[in-house]
Amino acid sequence: MMRRFLRLPWRSSSRRRADLDEELRFYFDMRTRELIEGGMQEADAHREAVREFGDLEYTKQYCLAEDAMSNRDERRTDFLAELRQDVGHSWRTLRRAPGFTAVAMITLALGIGANTAIFSVLNGLLLRDLPYADADRVARIWGAHAGTKFDRSQLSAADFLDLRARQRSFASLGVFARGGGTYVGTGDPVRLSGMRVDANVFNTLGVRPLLGRTFATGDDSAGLAPTLVVLGHGAWRRVFGADSGIVGKSIELSGRMRTVIGVLPPSFFFPTASDAEFFTPLDLTPILNDANRARKFHNLGAVGRLRPGVSVTEARADLVGIARQLEREHPESNTNMTVNALAVRDAVVGDTRPALLVLFGASTLVLLIACANVAGMLLSRAVSRRQELAVRAALGAGRARLVRQLLTESLVLAAIGGAIGLALAYWGTGALVRSAGEMLPASSQVALDGMVLATAAFVTLACGAIFGLVPAIVASRGNHSALKDGGRGSSGGAGRYRLRSALVVGQLALAAVLLVGAGLLVRSLARLQQNDLGYSLDSVLTFEVVLAGERYATAASQDQFFDALYSRIAALPGVVAVGGSGTLPLRGGSMGSLAIEGRPHAGPKLPEVGYQPVSDDFFKTMGVPLKRGRTFGPPDHNDAAPVVILSEGLAREFWPNGDAVGARIRLGPDPSVPWMTVVGIVGDVRIGVAGDLRPTAYVSTRQDHWGGAAIVVRTTGDPMALLPPVRRELKAIDPTLPLTQASTMKDVQSIELTDRRLPMQLMAAFAVLALVLAAVGVYGVMAYSVAARTREIGVRVALGAQPSNVFGMVVRQGLGAAAAGLTLGLVGAAALGRVLARLLFGVSPTDAATFVGVAAMLVTVVLAACLLPARRAVRIDPLEALRSE
Amino acid sequence: MTQPPIDLLQGTVDVLILRTLAWEPMHGYGVSRFIRQRTDGVLTIESAALYQALHRLERKKWIRAEWGLSENNRRAKYYALTTEGRKQLRAETATLKTYVDAVFKVLEPV
Repeated sequence: MMRRFLRLPWRSSSRRRADLDEELRFYFDMRTRELIEGGMQEADAHREAVREFGDLEYTKQYCLAEDAMSNRDERRTDFLAELRQDVGHSWRTLRRAPGFTAVAMITLALGIGANTAIFSVLNGLLLRDLPYADADRVARIWGAHAGTKFDRSQLSAADFLDLRARQRSFASLGVFARGGGTYVGTGDPVRLSGMRVDANVFNTLGVRPLLGRTFATGDDSAGLAPTLVVLGHGAWRRVFGADSGIVGKSIELSGRMRTVIGVLPPSFFFPTASDAEFFTPLDLTPILNDANRARKFHNLGAVGRLRPGVSVTEARADLVGIARQLEREHPESNTNMTVNALAVRDAVVGDTRPALLVLFGASTLVLLIACANVAGMLLSRAVSRRQELAVRAALGAGRARLVRQLLTESLVLAAIGGAIGLALAYWGTGALVRSAGEMLPASSQVALDGMVLATAAFVTLACGAIFGLVPAIVASRGNHSALKDGGRGSSGGAGRYRLRSALVVGQLALAAVLLVGAGLLVRSLARLQQNDLGYSLDSVLTFEVVLAGERYATAASQDQFFDALYSRIAALPGVVAVGGSGTLPLRGGSMGSLAIEGRPHAGPKLPEVGYQPVSDDFFKTMGVPLKRGRTFGPPDHNDAAPVVILSEGLAREFWPNGDAVGARIRLGPDPSVPWMTVVGIVGDVRIGVAGDLRPTAYVSTRQDHWGGAAIVVRTTGDPMALLPPVRRELKAIDPTLPLTQASTMKDVQSIELTDRRLPMQLMAAFAVLALVLAAVGVYGVMAYSVAARTREIGVRVALGAQPSNVFGMVVRQGLGAAAAGLTLGLVGAAALGRVLARLLFGVSPTDAATFVGVAAMLVTVVLAACLLPARRAVRIDPLEALRSE
Repeated sequence: MTQPPIDLLQGTVDVLILRTLAWEPMHGYGVSRFIRQRTDGVLTIESAALYQALHRLERKKWIRAEWGLSENNRRAKYYALTTEGRKQLRAETATLKTYVDAVFKVLEPV
């Protein structure tokens, strides 16, 4: 009877046919009788009733078809009604347990939010569309140094031409070199980053211009190359106000007039680490004609479009084979030089990929822990709801219906948690992108797009199903005895407890993995920050000035400019020292080959050392100590005898007897360059925050003119406060020169550390989250265990167990889970350590201190989580416990 | 009175059935008898059309069916008007009235 009220009557097709027959038979019987009463014979009456009815067969078919349709409609509304009923019931049930609901929802929201935020970055970076036609066929090609980790360096012009002529893997190859410029329009001069590309680059990438055209064959000839430019979309909008009639106009770039022939689409970015804002044709002829540079000057990058059916791996093997031929043909320049090629997709993602994948893995672990937690909570709740479920079963709800009801509850919980999680992810993604800075390529498009939303929805449903299904099945297995014993029956309790314990062990293991990962990253960063760079970063302002225009064509004019700039800045209040160099040591540097007078080199190729032009007071400003000899000064002018200063490491390596000062060396491949005399030795300096103490030779900016410098200013106060007066001084000397890259050295270091600090911070956040969730899980299972064993503990106490025994019993149980989880987790962490290796610095993936620390932390947290349940166990009154049953 | 019965349009059949069931729930035979007696045999609905209409109206949820016992104690399928059906009846009656009035405005001599 109840069943009829719980579900509306659906009728099978045979049932519907029988019903219709009965309905019509009733009509015919009644009508026949009426006709007989009117005076007809029985047989005639029956015939007459059938005749006057009309088309009986058609009517039957018509009615059955109508009935079938009604039935379908009813089933649907029925299902919806039941769903509404279930959702409504779930909502009321959840509202009746606000504590449980809040904890479960927050747990899920954190798990789903963290996962979605990381996935949206992953999606924007690793899975997005690239702005190249058929991008999977485009490859990036680099030079590489065999047997080292320098596998993404530059190619020489002659090598590139040989590669292009001999290769069989690519349909087309394009080559490019970096080269910026200054645009002087009506306002302040603007420094734009530029790229010089040959006529094949844009065709190889497969780019359709937004306006005009890209470069065509012949545009990179000696005659045309200096006269053309293609603008990137960003520069076109920012500098030229999105002028739609710009194609055909002439603009002045670094003192040279160029005709704009095209503008690139907004989605386009160049497949190098940093994008470019304008593109000029690259003419290789001058460098090819210079015998000393053609094969020895490495400044080119390349892209290729693979022939159909050729994989990147095959293409790389092809190129490496050619590099070997070149090594044999040109040992003096090509020994140990090889080539590397990667799919452009892998190339643009670069070093961010391992960090992102690790973080995505970590956030997924957090989500799993969250699911395990909610599953555990639902299992506990299922116990207290056995009576309710038994009542519903007794009223006629089938088991499937009960499972569906409980599952709906989980899904409602998951949906709300997911919605809050999505809000968290929205906020988190924004925060992530803001703090990621240069870690994410400028070209990445991170947003909560359809793909991310769909994934989040899927994850939410999957979570609901995972943590809902098992408890639902376990709970619905309860039998009617639950009614009799008031819901406190013990059957099934042991299995359920085992399941919960297993969940807690799993949670602790996952938390341990995350803690180890976070610990290793924290220690890496600490190592990096304590790393002695060889100079001091405090109170130093830095900025760059690039000289442009005819005014600075001569060495003397450049010296004059920098002397004026340095003396003006040195005169500013608060300035301790000012200097300049080619590149900031934190941002890398150049390499050159080293030849020593009177020492013929042994191998076919000269050793490579760091190479840096610096101003007179550079060492003083940066705090690099002078170990021997002297630094540069005004007497080391352009026409004076060439001098050089060596880093301590370089001097020790090549002059182990300490007689470096006074020796004569030469840097670079050109043998016609005069020898330089070593006049001093300075302390070693680290190249990059995680770099090595590179042996470096310093030359004077008075003798090697780069047409620009990274300026450093040491002050007594806030470095940034010095920027406006510095800007004024620069303007006073030459108002057309832009001042770029202004920052404090501390900030430069901080930015360079970002791609290490951010993963560390996120990992630490995930680990803390995991630890808290695991602690909640431990607390939950212990509290449940104590509650379920109230009677047993009562008996023990009645039989003489001391409070310390009871306390110990509970704590031992918790520690058992901790030990199991910890063992699993630490083994897992050791196995997964390799994944982290690329993100670590100066710490082994199996760093003992980290593992011990994680173990101690986890045990402490488990103990703390056991404390409350253990105290409750101690307070159990044996009389109460026994009487309450 | 041997006037030939008038053929009815489907929409009119529906309205008549709804109006009949507005009195009380009836089985199909009851509906047919009721209409015949009420109109003194002027309007007869072919029983085939009647049953088709009943099942169609049930699908539209304007009437709902339930098994019950007839006057002579037999199992019979009774049809009752739903709220939806009552609304429909009011609307269609109004339409039909407007239609008939309009027709008579043309037919009646002024």
